[in-house]
Amino acid sequence: MGLLSKLLTFPVSAPVAGVRWSLETVERVVRDELVDDSAIKDELMALQLALEEGDIDGEEYVRREAELMQRFREVRYWREQFGMGVSGGPVRVQRDTEEHG
Amino acid sequence: MGTSMAATDGGKYVYCIVRSARPCEFGAIGIGGEANRVYTVHHEDLAAVVSDTPIVIYDPTRENVLAHEFVNETVMREHTVIPMSFGTVFRSGDDVSELLRSTYEAFSDVLDKMRDKIEFGLKVLWDRERVIATLERSNEEIRRLKDEIERNAQNSTYFARIQLGRLVEAALEELGSAFVADVHASLRPVAVASRSNKPIGDRMIMNAAFLVERAESEAFDEKVKALSHRYEELLTFKYTGPWPPYNFVNIKLKLERAD
Repeated sequence: MGLLSKLLTFPVSAPVAGVRWSLETVERVVRDELVDDSAIKDELMALQLALEEGDIDGEEYVRREAELMQRFREVRYWREQFGMGVSGGPVRVQRDTEEHG
Repeated sequence: MGTSMAATDGGKYVYCIVRSARPCEFGAIGIGGEANRVYTVHHEDLAAVVSDTPIVIYDPTRENVLAHEFVNETVMREHTVIPMSFGTVFRSGDDVSELLRSTYEAFSDVLDKMRDKIEFGLKVLWDRERVIATLERSNEEIRRLKDEIERNAQNSTYFARIQLGRLVEAALEELGSAFVADVHASLRPVAVASRSNKPIGDRMIMNAAFLVERAESEAFDEKVKALSHRYEELLTFKYTGPWPPYNFVNIKLKLERAD
């Protein structure tokens, strides 16, 4: 650290800031995509409609549903990794401290 | 926790909240495919309808979602229900009682508001080709342009075709909105509230939920039948229910990560 690192980083600090900014943008876009299950929900609803309308048979439904479930699990995994809320699953119940057990 | 009445220990899958001070049984219809018994866990006069479960995350497969819905349908025959989100699992009966205790006021309030109210789903799909054929007959401007294109088949009609496409799109959008507005206007007098959800796929023009007084459900039925009759050439009505008020009650619980 100190002078040496200043010297080494100073000449490139401006471009680095730009690169970092775009990397952060990319990271955020990737992250948003990883944790967003709305497209999967839309596909699942469309798939159910297709089954109800007789456009696909039960076998195809089950196969495509399994793919969507896998994608749901991946989104859940990333949401948990990023400390975001997930739907369904175990609920944490917080007890009031003054409660007499 | 003197009012806790958890019948067995371990994880509880929660389907809905009802008002009842006495234990209820709803049969071996629980989620998980093992004919789990569905019963109630209480705090005073509030009850959670539950079945025993391992602490797992349930995938929203058709099978699981139907199991969740079937329990709620069964319970709502005799009770006003506040439905829980699909997949809600508690670690113990005590945790469920604690939820009821800590949110007693809020649940009581919602139960009062939802008393004797049920939900119906209404999805409206159209047959695009048929609607376009109707438009070509009834819309003067479209008919004229179409005739013109057909007469000048050899000449360059590129722009006329683009113009026709735009006209048809605009007319379709206008007509779709008019259909949806008409359906809402017909049902508004017999519904307490309505909610529009995003249509699914490209054939659906309306995806709505209606909250209806139980006493008005026959009147609501009649209106939907009349609508589907009036539009039978062009529209398909997918009418479902009665449901618990899934679209009108929203309970958000703090969830933790599964171990």
